[in-house]
Amino acid sequence: MNMNLFFREMRRNAMGLLLWMAVITLLISVTMSMYRTFIDNQSKVLGMMNLIPKGALQFKGVSNFNDLFSVMGFYAVNNVIYMMVLGSIYAIVLSSNILLKEEYGKTADFLLSWPLSRSDIFFGKLAVFTLNVFLLNLVTVVAGFISIEIVKTGPFSIKPFLVLSLYTFLLNFLFGAIGLFISTLIRKPKAITTFSIGLVLIMYFIFTLSKITESASDLGYLSPFKYVNTEAMKPGYGLEPWRVLFFAGLSALLLVFSFRIYRRKDIYL
Amino acid sequence: MPSHVLDISRLSKLYGKTIGIEDVSFTLDEGEIFGFIGPNGAGKSTTIRILLNLIFPSGGTAKIMGMDVIKDSKKIKKITGYIPSDANAYPYMTVNEFLNYCMRFYGQKNGNGRRNELAEIFDLDLKKKISDLSFGNRRKVSIVQSLQHNPLFLIMDEPTTGLDPLIQSRFFDLIREENKKGMTLFFSSHILSEIQLLCKRVAIIKDGKIANLEDIESLRRKQLKKIKIWPGEINHSVFLTIPGIEGDVTRAGDMLSFMYSGDINDLVRLLSVKKIANLTIEEPSLEEIFMHYYN
Repeated sequence: MNMNLFFREMRRNAMGLLLWMAVITLLISVTMSMYRTFIDNQSKVLGMMNLIPKGALQFKGVSNFNDLFSVMGFYAVNNVIYMMVLGSIYAIVLSSNILLKEEYGKTADFLLSWPLSRSDIFFGKLAVFTLNVFLLNLVTVVAGFISIEIVKTGPFSIKPFLVLSLYTFLLNFLFGAIGLFISTLIRKPKAITTFSIGLVLIMYFIFTLSKITESASDLGYLSPFKYVNTEAMKPGYGLEPWRVLFFAGLSALLLVFSFRIYRRKDIYL
Repeated sequence: MPSHVLDISRLSKLYGKTIGIEDVSFTLDEGEIFGFIGPNGAGKSTTIRILLNLIFPSGGTAKIMGMDVIKDSKKIKKITGYIPSDANAYPYMTVNEFLNYCMRFYGQKNGNGRRNELAEIFDLDLKKKISDLSFGNRRKVSIVQSLQHNPLFLIMDEPTTGLDPLIQSRFFDLIREENKKGMTLFFSSHILSEIQLLCKRVAIIKDGKIANLEDIESLRRKQLKKIKIWPGEINHSVFLTIPGIEGDVTRAGDMLSFMYSGDINDLVRLLSVKKIANLTIEEPSLEEIFMHYYN
């Protein structure tokens, strides 16, 4: 890996990373700040909740309405949207552009004429992408943890929180690997960002559909969201090896294919 | 020590069924300025992109200083400079930041003062942001980045596009100077006068194939003559079948003109028995010789 490339890319993406960190942290903080009000109006909320079909909340990992009134349950429900969806959008947009922007920005002719191998470029950019996704997760997890510590009204177990955070990171990283893989296949890169965002939203829609519609429940297996266990309030909630293997294995496979393709890819301006 | 700085052998690139280049072969000797000329789309940039490992060939081999352009690409790039025809430096950097970024890949921090010399030659403001530069000034950045690490071999793809005449002249002086110091140069252009000014040898590429490869001087001395005949009363068709005519016979008013590659005595003998109004025999310009090969 070339450190010159790595540091330059980190600097280049720093502003975007900070912005995403700020937005997601703000969303988590604002949402968690409503927890106390939520608890204070427990009976009213429960009354309203009973009007909502149970399936509509199941996709967020809520199998029991009462789970929502624990601080972890409240956090988990909102975490699905903020970190899983927004974090995945960040990861896929970053990864799908990180190699491709050299082509559509017409800078590839310079970069590839300097003493760098394709491996140097690929692994340098992969390291930048990995570190950025990790930092985004780290900061938002810390923000989530601090928010929980501030608003909690009873005991809070850290284990489900960390497990859910790890699943979130694995999901974000998988979407990043998908983005990188797609970018190595694409010749006309202009629509890559729209396509990447669309892909995450479609996958989330498929997952949602599979949760609320029984007839579409098998369809959910097409979506990476399905492989995250969001039911953090269930007893015995922990890391399941098959889920971890799914995310790590599929990500590794996509990265290996991406590298093999990029190593032999014709670069045009 | 490899015998040639560049050795291209039967190089081909296919884009699906379309031919980019086909069976391209030539060599460059150390210290040479080699011209590579052809119209747009003839295959010049395709050849160069293979040399820089930006694209992969469909067949054939290319070696720079005895090293394979695919397997040894990183080593080759340490000793090579490249002026791309259509590339952008990172717009969010200043010129200095961009050149520093480039130099660090060569294991050097600031180009050992060479950058400042080059910037002075080209009147380039190193503090300016690249996004604020005009097209011509971006070309200057491209030239400086290609030379600041003192390469042994320089590949140039239409390097003078966008440069004003004064800067072009400084660029040519610099190229000559670098060549005197031992640099080998590969100069791709569609502008004949540039090639004529700098190069000793030239390859003409047409439709992806090398149409001709020889010394500029030999090209000039080609037996090709430009013949103009004013036939007067004689039927024009008589002249269309003269042996030795190269290409088409063109007619402008009452004058016929064509390129002739046969023995000039045979032509004069043939014409002496016909009552023509006038005849001129001229040396064709280099431009006309090139156009002859293009067509």
